[in-house]
Amino acid sequence: MDIRAILLVGGVEDPETGASERVGGVPSAYLDALGVPVVERVLRRLRHYGICRATLISDVPAANMPFAQRAEFDRGLPHLEAEGDEFWDAAEETFHGYANEGADLVVALRVGPYIEVDYDEMIQHHLDHHCVISMAVDAESSSLELFVLDPAARFDARKLFQSHMQHLRRDCEPFPVKGYLNRLKNAADLRRLTVDGLMGRNAVRPEAMEIKPGVFVGRGARIHRLARVVAPAFIGARAKVHASALITRGSVLEHHAEVDCGTVVENSTLLPFTRLGAGLDVTHAVVGFRHLAHLTRNVEVEITDAKLVDMLPLSAVSRLAGSTAALFAFLPKQIYRGFQALSHREEPADNPECGGPANALLDAPVLEAPASGVESSEFPSNLAVLRRYGDH
Amino acid sequence: METISRPVVVKRMPERMNLKQARKFLKEVQPFLNSDRPQVVFDMSQVRHIDAAGIDVLLHCMREAVKRDGDLKLAALSPQSAVVLELTRTGRLFEIYENSTAAVKSFSSFLPNALRQLEPQVSQGEVPMLGPQAVNANDDGPGASLAA
Repeated sequence: MDIRAILLVGGVEDPETGASERVGGVPSAYLDALGVPVVERVLRRLRHYGICRATLISDVPAANMPFAQRAEFDRGLPHLEAEGDEFWDAAEETFHGYANEGADLVVALRVGPYIEVDYDEMIQHHLDHHCVISMAVDAESSSLELFVLDPAARFDARKLFQSHMQHLRRDCEPFPVKGYLNRLKNAADLRRLTVDGLMGRNAVRPEAMEIKPGVFVGRGARIHRLARVVAPAFIGARAKVHASALITRGSVLEHHAEVDCGTVVENSTLLPFTRLGAGLDVTHAVVGFRHLAHLTRNVEVEITDAKLVDMLPLSAVSRLAGSTAALFAFLPKQIYRGFQALSHREEPADNPECGGPANALLDAPVLEAPASGVESSEFPSNLAVLRRYGDH
Repeated sequence: METISRPVVVKRMPERMNLKQARKFLKEVQPFLNSDRPQVVFDMSQVRHIDAAGIDVLLHCMREAVKRDGDLKLAALSPQSAVVLELTRTGRLFEIYENSTAAVKSFSSFLPNALRQLEPQVSQGEVPMLGPQAVNANDDGPGASLAA
């Protein structure tokens, strides 16, 4: 049976409502979840059920296009970029193309929501009910924006895509999804997806080696021997954890993320190419693209200070050039700082009012030997003893 | 992930962990920590009072264990010890399990369900709170025990 798929990334009605399905401006579908982009995980699932031919249509903003283009998913996949109404027009045209090529069924889904659906079961449901169009629904019977369409149903497809997957031309038998579901509306949902993956609650398996129970480390990741990683945790490929850093309580560092010395990352996610500065305390947050989404306070802030949160260059050549420049600049910078510190050193003020009597007092002995020549067994009352360190 | 099983030492902490008790406790566990790749679990079900000295001992033991490529895990936290660990922000340095058995098993395989709740329902927009934990002490007697 020739079943083909149309994957739609974007097409959200109102990005201002908070349900933008983006984190730091990048669609959640392109962001990594435990080492693999969400869209790639959806594609793998489709392939697992024998749906190998698919077209990806997305509306990524131009500013975030470089990152989206770098997302590691199947590059052989036909990929269309369209915005606004053209986005849905492209979906309709793709559907007509599949119909003309003789496909038996077309699966149209928006990512958007991450759904672990049994496609075999859904297609069987579609065939058993002799449906023209089938719609996947959750436990509360709301649409999951996943449809199976008969290629002959061109008007139904047109109505579906022109209504932005909100309306159907005719009633259909809904297919209730029993598997894992995450709507990926915001940063909190993305965080939940990765935590659920770490805790084994869904099929999102870490794309890394388990170096000790619950600690997953990707290819080329570097963890300083003085850093501590408490399970469960995920350190993505080529991520770096510097000395005295602490990665704990289900924290996730995606590929090329970097945590500087002494920084604590607790119950948080660092998106790819994110660098956290030294001595920070990041808890319950999703950090990336110079944005920090605090999950318990439900707020997202832009951080422009590169010492706190920075984004590493996407290209390996740029990163290497940056590291080399930093290495060569280190020694001259230290020498310059040394000279600068010497030149700015201030001489103590010559204040006769302060200096004269104090010096005279300092010259006088504090402890006088008793006239009798017998040493006193007690400390004199005018002597204060100050210890620098605790009890020892 | 399954690893080659090495002995895991389970040590029940005393009811009071003040300076005096902490020093005594440290003396007792020091031999276990000095072994190669020590795997130690502290059962904190009996702890009713823990102060800075007690926390210091925990950190010292963790440092010693990690230095020798081992690990220290905590189990069956009493409400009192859970509060102090959270207050001093030291709880996040340790893997904390609901009971000693789970903590022992966690050295050979990852047991997500046995871990104390780690995520404060991130999507709910709630401030994470550390509620009183169910104290589930194991049946071992006081003192150290070895589990394979």
